[in-house]
Amino acid sequence: MTSGVVPFLTSSAGPANRARLPRPAAPSALFLFAALQAGAAIAAAVALEDNASLAWGLLRADPTARLFVVLIDVIFLGIAAYVWNRARAEPALEQVVREFARMSTAFMVAANIVVLANHLMVGWIALEVTTLCAAPLIVRRGVPASRRASWRYFLFSSVGLGLVLVGFGCLARSVELSGQVPTFFIDDLSTLVNGPPTPWQRIGLALVFIGYGTKLGLAPLYSWLPETYDEAPPAVTALLAAVQFNCALVCLIRVLQIYRAGNPELVANELLVIGLASMAVSTVSVIATRNFKRLIAYASINHAGVIAIGLAIGKSASYGVLLYVVSNAFIKAILFLTAGKIKAHYGTKDTREIAGLIKDLPFSGVFLMVGTFALLGFPPFGSFVGELIILSGLVRAHQILVFVLFCGLISMTFVAMGRTVFPMIWAQPKRAVSWPRQTLLGALPKLAFLVALVVMGVYMPSAVTRVFRAVAASLGGE
Amino acid sequence: MNGVLIAFALVLLLPLFIATWRASLLGLSLQGFLMSWIAFHRGVEWSAAAILELVDLVLVRGIGAPVVLWLVMRQQGVRHGRPLISSNLLSWGMALALVLIAFRVADKLVPTDGEAQTWVAVSTSGLLLGLLVLATQTDAFSQMEGALRVENAIALFDLSDEPHSPVGVRLAQSLLLVATMALFRWYLVHLSREADAPAAPEAPPL
Repeated sequence: MTSGVVPFLTSSAGPANRARLPRPAAPSALFLFAALQAGAAIAAAVALEDNASLAWGLLRADPTARLFVVLIDVIFLGIAAYVWNRARAEPALEQVVREFARMSTAFMVAANIVVLANHLMVGWIALEVTTLCAAPLIVRRGVPASRRASWRYFLFSSVGLGLVLVGFGCLARSVELSGQVPTFFIDDLSTLVNGPPTPWQRIGLALVFIGYGTKLGLAPLYSWLPETYDEAPPAVTALLAAVQFNCALVCLIRVLQIYRAGNPELVANELLVIGLASMAVSTVSVIATRNFKRLIAYASINHAGVIAIGLAIGKSASYGVLLYVVSNAFIKAILFLTAGKIKAHYGTKDTREIAGLIKDLPFSGVFLMVGTFALLGFPPFGSFVGELIILSGLVRAHQILVFVLFCGLISMTFVAMGRTVFPMIWAQPKRAVSWPRQTLLGALPKLAFLVALVVMGVYMPSAVTRVFRAVAASLGGE
Repeated sequence: MNGVLIAFALVLLLPLFIATWRASLLGLSLQGFLMSWIAFHRGVEWSAAAILELVDLVLVRGIGAPVVLWLVMRQQGVRHGRPLISSNLLSWGMALALVLIAFRVADKLVPTDGEAQTWVAVSTSGLLLGLLVLATQTDAFSQMEGALRVENAIALFDLSDEPHSPVGVRLAQSLLLVATMALFRWYLVHLSREADAPAAPEAPPL
């Protein structure tokens, strides 16, 4: 597949350049693996019958699994294409790319298991494996701060997932005290959980939410996220922000699907508080920072807060949450991959040192501009529709105070982001304009993500809408 | 079993007052062995998962984890110091207050006095003290110690019940702990080495 497509896409490099191109095996193998994986995910999502059981019932292809397997595998394909292109442009990266290929392959196998898991512990173990694979990838040679960031990431993840494990223990105890045999199989648990919540169940759910919330970058345990996203190489940041984030979210959604089936109001207030606190923390940080990678990282915390609020409301907001989640996966992939290009070109992450991107790095400038508009919830992107549905859900649920706070925080984030990012794109360049070669292949993954974003905002194919609706229904959506 | 649980609580507390890294590693090791003793005598049916749990407690928590950290610390020539919490009355008072809170929580969750209540109280104490170490310390060794205390508290809580997961899942959990220890060692070696080394040229980012 690569041999057929790649020469066509890189033809703009010209015959002389092509002769000098190295042909490293690892990036091509990674791209091939990612392409096969994405193809298999799409085929499985289409061909497998609903709720098909796999691997002795430990895995299950329900609508949630179908949606997220396709999402993470397609995004990984984009990241693999980016890495392939970087390896071509920078032969010195060969060793780094080889390590990335090895670890990210293991990461993706585990990530797919997380999404498909029909057993709470299997999902937890696979999520821990993704953490073990990602932690060494955050480290950059010659940058001690990146190893400290990697350590903080690993430590917070270990503690967060440890809290989840205690939570599972408490939930098992609550099942046992109701006179039933505890199990961690999700389909069995759904039938066991009924009646009013017990103290063990409440503590268990609180611990599970705090634990998985740590992986999502939700307050109070969010401080690892800006540092990690800032220090990690762009491809790894995209992997964490767009793939692992969704894996942790699926784990959280599974717990909600089980425990809120008979009690839709369960933990709604806790999720609202965590969501608003995360949005507030991110807004203050967005206003204060002058580092564009951290800016996007803080915006990710804001997104996690919006998602938590949407999940708290449930009902009509569920569809909006899903639209918002999928849109944001693409937005974060676009923005972090673009941020890598900008950092490589200017050698700085200080927003005051970068100006006139649209003239200096036209592709990156356009992607940063469009990505920022999508990030801020402008039409015609899917994030706009998603945010609108969540806001209307808040009004319908009579959460007017939350609605007002939500709008206030989003507006402040909008102004702060615009004040920082727009001069980077449109201001007069601070130095002589240079035009580094930007091939179509380099821009292609981000372009594809952008098309997906617009499609979600303008016209959703009916087959995709059906999957979205099925997942929303499992979350209590109307 | 109550006596062993009280001994476990003492092993949790004492290293906090003795400000040396050797005492904290000895405490970790003793936690592993006390949990092994509990696992051996708790009277559950000997399934493959239960045997695996015992092996995990003896080999990984009792011996493996403390020895790995001890070897790195000795290699780095660390002679003394590295207290788990600051050596002052405020920190010690906080530690004792957390233990009291843990016992109050256990009182609410398990209203009848007895072994089940002590079990929850000691596990919760372990969890809260581990989180205290994590929240107050900034050096990697103490944070690892805090994380391992949290892991041990979870293991102790799990021991109060029959194993519910299939043996494959139990095995995967043990392997994860081994991998975590390997990564802990990697961080401990490199973080201190990088702190002393002169700045190296930055490699191009991926």
